[in-house]
Amino acid sequence: MNQLREKAPAKHKSISYAKWGYLFIAPFFITYAIFKLYPLFLTIYNSFFENYRSGLKQVGPNFVGLANYIKLFTPDANGIIDIIKYTGNTVVLWLGGAIPQIVIALLLAIFFTSYRLNIKGQQFFKTVIYMPNLIMASAFSMLFYTLFSNVGPVNQLLMQMGIAEKPIDFFAIKITVRSLICLMNFLLWFGNTTILLMAGIMGIDQNMFEAANIDGATSTQTFFRVTLPLLTPILVYTVITALIGGLQMFDVPQVLTNGAGNPNRSSMTLIMFLNSYLKTSKNYGMAGAISVIIFIITGLLSMLVYRSLTKKD
Amino acid sequence: MKKALALLLALVMVLSMAACGTSKTEETKAAAPAPAETQAATPAETEAPAAEEGKVFNIYAWNEEFKGFFEKYYTVPEGITVNWIINPSDGGVYQDKLDEALLNQENAPADEKIDMFLAEADYILKYTDSEFTQDIQALGVTDFSNTYEYTVQAASDSNGVVKGVSFQCCPSALIYRRSIAKDVLGTDDPAEVQAKLDSWDKFNAVAADAKAKGYYMTASESETFRVFSDNGTSALVDDSGKLTLNDSIKAWQAQAKDFSDKGYTLTTGIWDDECTAQMFKDGKTMCYFGPAWYFNFSMGNAQDPEKGCPGDWAICQGPQAHFWGGTWLLAATGSDNPTMLADIMDTFINDEEVCENLIKNESQFTNNQAVNAKFAADPNYGNAFLGGQNDVAVFVDLAKNIKFENKTIYDQLLCEGLQTYWREYCDGEVTEEEAMANYYKYINEKYPEIVTP
Repeated sequence: MNQLREKAPAKHKSISYAKWGYLFIAPFFITYAIFKLYPLFLTIYNSFFENYRSGLKQVGPNFVGLANYIKLFTPDANGIIDIIKYTGNTVVLWLGGAIPQIVIALLLAIFFTSYRLNIKGQQFFKTVIYMPNLIMASAFSMLFYTLFSNVGPVNQLLMQMGIAEKPIDFFAIKITVRSLICLMNFLLWFGNTTILLMAGIMGIDQNMFEAANIDGATSTQTFFRVTLPLLTPILVYTVITALIGGLQMFDVPQVLTNGAGNPNRSSMTLIMFLNSYLKTSKNYGMAGAISVIIFIITGLLSMLVYRSLTKKD
Repeated sequence: MKKALALLLALVMVLSMAACGTSKTEETKAAAPAPAETQAATPAETEAPAAEEGKVFNIYAWNEEFKGFFEKYYTVPEGITVNWIINPSDGGVYQDKLDEALLNQENAPADEKIDMFLAEADYILKYTDSEFTQDIQALGVTDFSNTYEYTVQAASDSNGVVKGVSFQCCPSALIYRRSIAKDVLGTDDPAEVQAKLDSWDKFNAVAADAKAKGYYMTASESETFRVFSDNGTSALVDDSGKLTLNDSIKAWQAQAKDFSDKGYTLTTGIWDDECTAQMFKDGKTMCYFGPAWYFNFSMGNAQDPEKGCPGDWAICQGPQAHFWGGTWLLAATGSDNPTMLADIMDTFINDEEVCENLIKNESQFTNNQAVNAKFAADPNYGNAFLGGQNDVAVFVDLAKNIKFENKTIYDQLLCEGLQTYWREYCDGEVTEEEAMANYYKYINEKYPEIVTP
């Protein structure tokens, strides 16, 4: 830099190359401001208005202050606050899918990258585990819906094997609906996570593993003392993206329960709740308020995950 | 520094993801103020004589029923392409898509404007009493002498301007399985079956007998919903916008729970596979309820020549007379094919040959009283699916009872939702209070203007 500066013509006291830097990153910030930041503030603005459609007529927008938020946090006749219940549903459904997803993906990633195991046909297995991710989530849940419906093959099988006397109504029982959603999310995403974690592990210097090996570390020790600490950045990324994806969970439960989140709205996620306000009534006020809450929850949880996983630095 | 940067990046990511979910919201909002202009501008436009009519005729529908009749019995004028836009009715999807298109009608290019759309009794008021439909008498459909009065009343706005016609009349009947009726009641003769099922008390008692013999009385706890709801004395939403469940609906709720607990019925939606699977030959269900369109269109499983049981069915009035649904053809404001529009409507109510074909080939009950009366009196006419019974004769009697009253623009979703949430109570998954609270939440989401308890 200094050399360059010295060679510059005398009439310029100094040349700032910083402007080129700003110029090159400008497109991102401009698009971000237009397509992300502006809608974000518009959503917050909208959440203070009564604004919906009644049949073919438009009601509002009328400024109502915090009325939408108050409505969101008013308990119903049974003392249940919807938004808290649905946040709980979302977290349960996310954890049920994300924990096995990350554990299994980590395990697979280690198997695939282990020079000791040296698994044959890796390409084949990697393709196979990634495959579910290529199916559209809605098609996937339609498939599960058909499989587990009262007249579907799973029930027929259970009845023929004498396990069930009459068809089990999988979609009327809380635990089965939730399990199915978790299972589907797990199947859809574990391949993707495996690939990410494999990339992370392969980025670690092989010398580390060899050194640990020579020092007599067992596989478990190698994993916890070498792999895991060095994998943290990728793991944090994986967990945070999974978290955001999980909080935005929508397509699988929406299709599986036909948007009702039954039984007893126990599989209704936050985004399904948001969507239910947008469909017939186009209620932008309430939907805006829910969006703001989701935004706050996502921000807080991401911060929490980030803190807890990077504490040791 | 590194940490701060990482945090910043993480925040940016979160921000962008959260913004992603909501940005959609804004786009549509910008388009919303348009209807006011649409309403003001379009009527004038259509009154001007159209020198040359459009080349594309767009029809919005929610299933293939009318499309089938249209393609068979209506000759489309040369040079015009008919374009069907079909969206499922379930969950209000059809209404949502149709509303969106109607609100955009003014800005749409001529060939993409809706010319005609179909509407059901559950929400027809929303469209007839609006600027989005036009007077069909002005277009040349003037002869309603043979139609049933309620079909014209339903298609008229509050000032009596007629906006469309129905090609069918929909008195609803008890549709029973002959073989099961013989086993349970000892007879399959419609008159005798009717005598044994002409009140709810008798119906409930027979349900116990059916159960004892290993049958289901109904395939869904919601089968009887329409019978009760159509006999209610008040609308689901009153004039002040408050949700009111009248005594008839409450009676249905009690019956649904009772039947589910006692195993007289399956607990499933009336359109679900489990319910329609009962229409196959090996089904164990005795009773269904519905108009002609139900057994000629929605009972496909029963009509299946191999797995079904055509001929093993018959109809009678059942515990209470009622009507259910019906498809109206409404004329969209801004249509660029007014001549063809009027011609279609006239054909399906006044063309005797078409109406006769609808009965003979399609098992319809038409909206032409003269044609219906002719078939009702014809000793040679019989419906093969119903074991040769003259269904038209039954429906001619039942049609006299139909009154189009206590309807709201909300009925489709309010009825669907009540059945869905009440079923969870019937299944024993939730308490009665929870079921109703969930139903009210559902209403608040769909229709914020309705006041719920």
